[in-house]
Amino acid sequence: MDFDLGDDAARLRARLRDLIAAHIAEDYLGAFTDDPADLDVSQRFCRILAEEGLLTVAWPTEYGGAGGSVWDQTVVREEMWAHHEPRGAQYMGLNWVGPAIMAFGSEAQKARHLPAIAAGEVIWCQGFSEPDAGSDLAALSTRAVADGDGWRLTGQKIWTSYAGMAQWCVLAARVGNGTRHEGITMFLLPMDTEGITVRPIASMLGHHHLNEVFFDDVWAGPGSVLGEVGEGWAVIRRTLAHERVGIARYARCERLLSALGRELAPEWDRLPPAVHAQWARALVEVRVARLLAYRAVHAQDTGAPADVPASVARIAFTSCDQHVAELLFQALGHESLEAGPGAPLHGAVEDHWRYAQAATVASGTIEVQRMIVSKSLLGGRR
Amino acid sequence: MNPELPAAAAEFGATATRVFTAAALGGVDAARRAEAEPAERGAQVAGALRALGVDDLDPRADDEALAAAAALCEERERVALPYPLDAVRDRVDRGRPFAVVPEAGGRVDHGELFEEWRVSTLAGPATVAAPKGGALGSRLGPFVSDLAPVGDEGGSARAEVDLHLALTAWWLLGVGARAVELAVDHVSTRVQFGKPLSAFQAVQFQLADATVAVAGLRELAGFTLWRLSGAPGQARADVLALRVHALDVVRAVLRTSQQLHGAAGVCDEYDISVLTRHAQPALRLPWSAERTAAELAAAIAAEGFEGLFPHGRAPG
Repeated sequence: MDFDLGDDAARLRARLRDLIAAHIAEDYLGAFTDDPADLDVSQRFCRILAEEGLLTVAWPTEYGGAGGSVWDQTVVREEMWAHHEPRGAQYMGLNWVGPAIMAFGSEAQKARHLPAIAAGEVIWCQGFSEPDAGSDLAALSTRAVADGDGWRLTGQKIWTSYAGMAQWCVLAARVGNGTRHEGITMFLLPMDTEGITVRPIASMLGHHHLNEVFFDDVWAGPGSVLGEVGEGWAVIRRTLAHERVGIARYARCERLLSALGRELAPEWDRLPPAVHAQWARALVEVRVARLLAYRAVHAQDTGAPADVPASVARIAFTSCDQHVAELLFQALGHESLEAGPGAPLHGAVEDHWRYAQAATVASGTIEVQRMIVSKSLLGGRR
Repeated sequence: MNPELPAAAAEFGATATRVFTAAALGGVDAARRAEAEPAERGAQVAGALRALGVDDLDPRADDEALAAAAALCEERERVALPYPLDAVRDRVDRGRPFAVVPEAGGRVDHGELFEEWRVSTLAGPATVAAPKGGALGSRLGPFVSDLAPVGDEGGSARAEVDLHLALTAWWLLGVGARAVELAVDHVSTRVQFGKPLSAFQAVQFQLADATVAVAGLRELAGFTLWRLSGAPGQARADVLALRVHALDVVRAVLRTSQQLHGAAGVCDEYDISVLTRHAQPALRLPWSAERTAAELAAAIAAEGFEGLFPHGRAPG
């Protein structure tokens, strides 16, 4: 039994923290705030990470990556999310569009897209969810109809993060009249293709996170299919495995709980003892969430089935995200309503609460995770 | 990084399960018999434990022994074994059993089984205490006894206190894990509205949440052993964190399991009822969850808390 991630992981963590300290301001709250300059910070930081070989730590060496272990990936995930994801929208390309292209792409697709993703030069969005296909993704109805040597795409996507700023989209559409998983096909599409319309959805999360995307008879050329026609479900399943554990939400929770003590230093002792006890319990919950995430990574590392441990971890750390958000608000009282650089913790507490509200929905609802866990528990006895 | 218990410890736990569920003890039936005939339980259980080699297991010896003791504790409480295995195993040189108590003297489970105890509050020092009067004999504390101080042993018992708190959390883990198994068995066979209860999503989701809670407690219990073996005597916040989490998780999971059993959840012919009753002393002694959380907050403020970022000291 050993819970030390090892010297390599420790060195990587220290290196990432040095770079963050040198290039990211203490009050940085991510790329998608009301200040457009924050987006520039993210893009500059991605180039720095790329130059340092840290943007593609997890990628195999044959694609220009560092061939890092799953534990290296874990460290990157933790440090980036803890420091408000200074890679901005890039994580999607790095974490799963790139790996999907490695696994299923043609040589031409690999040559075109992988170097650009590795250099942090291109933003991708993911066209999965539809108005009538959310948790039930296999119900999607965006159509792809053969037209000459290419395809014509018609349909609507929703909740599409970064669609308004992305240059490329990886899109799930249905070929033929099949149902459920039949005919689902993945396409790689430039977002400036005629017939694509993006409509931002105003939300408490801030800019760029949620959009609707309309595809009106959009032309997709012959080289645009990723993998085989009709085999898109396999692409989705295989590629989502690269990001099974998901965002390391516990890392930001822990950083904020740590900072809370410093922020409140003179007033801390005057808080009700119940808040101190809740703070202590929150630290325990964060530790448990981290350990459950490590259990899922360990399963991945040893080739054991990782789906259920990943769902267990996701239930734990998405719930934890919301509990910590509420605890921080309890500690700060009415000041928690303030936003911006003058607010407590430079606005990070207010920012965290807003983001936490979507934690149990984004990338697979907590209900879907519970279905996966209970199915494994009850097996054929349901 | 390897979160698995050593194979030998897991194997020891499996052997313990076989002994605890064998005909002589009969699983939870041993607890039922002990309530009917309290005087018999000492001899009945002690022999089985001796055969298992518990007397020779010193959790302070090395990491493997610590892990084996933890696995043993987990298995003990899966059957609500009516014997203070944790206290006996923590004794030094087969002397007096050891327990953490809320105040000098104090109250311990199965206290009347031994003439003298070595006890300590959280702050110490260790003292000697003896049972006064018999056990409570109540449904929720059938074997809980009060102790009175009879002498001063002196010296700090810090490492023993930490070890004891960690290992009692391991047996609470056994309660939680068993409660989920019992619920799964019950909802899989109990048919209502023409189908097993397990076909209802409201039931499935409760089981999923209970499973996640127990899985988290298991990881934390393993992690805490690792902290204990790495820095004995310096893991106070870690063991308090484990204890508060064990209390929070196991109280909730027992409630879920009882609820999913319906009326059977409060009937002693069902294991869940006996398990729930017999777990109450460990859930309340030496302190409740709220008191433990307050102690944890103080320990973190004073000593910090391992993590990705620094905690404590500044707030305190």
